[in-house]
Amino acid sequence: MTRDAYVVGAGMVDFGTRYGDSFDDLLEEAYLSLLDDVDKGVDPRADIDAIWYGSVDLAEEGHSGATVGHATGLFEKPATQVVNACATGSDSFRNATIAVEGGRADVALVIGGEKMTDDTGGLIELAAEERVWRGRGVTMPAFFGMRATRHMEEYGTTREQISEVSVKNHANGAKYPHAHYQFECSVDDVENSPTVSYPLNLYDCCPITDGASAVLVVSEDRVDEFTDDPVRVAATSLSTDSFQRAGDTALTHFPATRNASSGAYESAGISPEDVDVAEVHDCFSIAELITYEDLGFCKEGEGGQFAAEGKSRLDGEVAVNPSGGLLSKGHPIGATGVAQISEIYEQLRGEAGDIQVDDAEVGLQHNLGIGRNSTGSVSCVTVLERP
Amino acid sequence: MSGPRYRRTREQDQRLVAFECQECGWVSYPEEKRTCKKCAAAPATYERVQLQEQGEVLSFVEQVYLPDDFESPQLLGMIDIPQVGDGEPARVYGLFTETEREEIEVGSQVDARFRELFDDGDRPINSFKFSVPREEKA
Repeated sequence: MTRDAYVVGAGMVDFGTRYGDSFDDLLEEAYLSLLDDVDKGVDPRADIDAIWYGSVDLAEEGHSGATVGHATGLFEKPATQVVNACATGSDSFRNATIAVEGGRADVALVIGGEKMTDDTGGLIELAAEERVWRGRGVTMPAFFGMRATRHMEEYGTTREQISEVSVKNHANGAKYPHAHYQFECSVDDVENSPTVSYPLNLYDCCPITDGASAVLVVSEDRVDEFTDDPVRVAATSLSTDSFQRAGDTALTHFPATRNASSGAYESAGISPEDVDVAEVHDCFSIAELITYEDLGFCKEGEGGQFAAEGKSRLDGEVAVNPSGGLLSKGHPIGATGVAQISEIYEQLRGEAGDIQVDDAEVGLQHNLGIGRNSTGSVSCVTVLERP
Repeated sequence: MSGPRYRRTREQDQRLVAFECQECGWVSYPEEKRTCKKCAAAPATYERVQLQEQGEVLSFVEQVYLPDDFESPQLLGMIDIPQVGDGEPARVYGLFTETEREEIEVGSQVDARFRELFDDGDRPINSFKFSVPREEKA
């Protein structure tokens, strides 16, 4: 059995440093926001068949799907926690979609959350202090900074072109009400911000952010009960790459993204030129620049030019990260992918307000994460479209 | 941080011993020995190979913000370390020592130097760091 899956509602919370709120508070808020968003309403206890919950659980809230049962009051439902590094949220969505398409659920709740500020050590410590040769002393900014150094060397990409990504995303984020950062910045501001890991500076890096988001995925059989304006899931695709050395192209590219996106394009029956709006994984400015190339928005080596020429701006060839992306909106790991799906859903329904992309018909969502002696060892790509 | 974890790969860490997949030629360094992380041969046939005490810088960064355990700024590179003899190099992240950022670029040849990396309680954990060749230093 295979049938179409649709998104019929999205819930978002304001991303930020939310010390006053617990992990449960954030999940509740995203869930209530979702219930409120469904056009024709939803009766959760009667309608929802299954729950997929994404969190890497930095806040140590239980390592179980039951966590979301507690936050929503939805007990006696099958609830599964998904963990897949920075693709955790998007992989939760992917698993829910597979179940709906395959006929095991008609209505699936997808919810993702992360309380980054409840973890005192943080991912830098985890990344930097494990093992002798497995990236001992390698932080996240270093993983991506290494790609920046190499991309500049190999393709003549300039520091200014890399900065343009951050300038664009902060300009967008300043217009997006849920973004963690609400300020604009210039190329000079990016280049004069403190060095974190040369060649990357503070404004090249996403902040430490708390957040949650939720979407409702339903089958074609029941979609009419919830809305007359659904968004179709055209494809979900996941790929992995070696932890240890990665492919030899991984110095400047992420083979997992290339695999996941070509799989998604094929299954959706579209090509990169068809994408109108994309929410992609810009944990660091250089990551977005490389992702333009990996997703086929431009040719290999031309990511810098693509950014500098404004082709990824709101009014460009493909609007990339209208929400401000991870750089401006923030990156609460389990929430990130679900939030990106929520944002694409809003865009395709024409409800994105100040960041609305004109006539958006096809939207793409992308996450990238993890590695030991490499990075970008998991990648998830989703394609959504107006039916 | 656990002592046993370091002990598992001690010989490889301290002697630059790696394992070459006889199916695809990929060099596993350190520790993985039963399945190939590149061609998925399972079981893989690995041959023990010795790495040279020098390598080539493929990329680098200078880390300024690090956990308290680390000195900063900390220069870090991705290095290809060739085998003694023919075959693919091992590709690793390596910390630098006695080297300034201005002294290296993509393509630089660097030496592997045996150093204390950090301590595990009372015990030093020794392995290799990289530096520009001594004779080229002012």
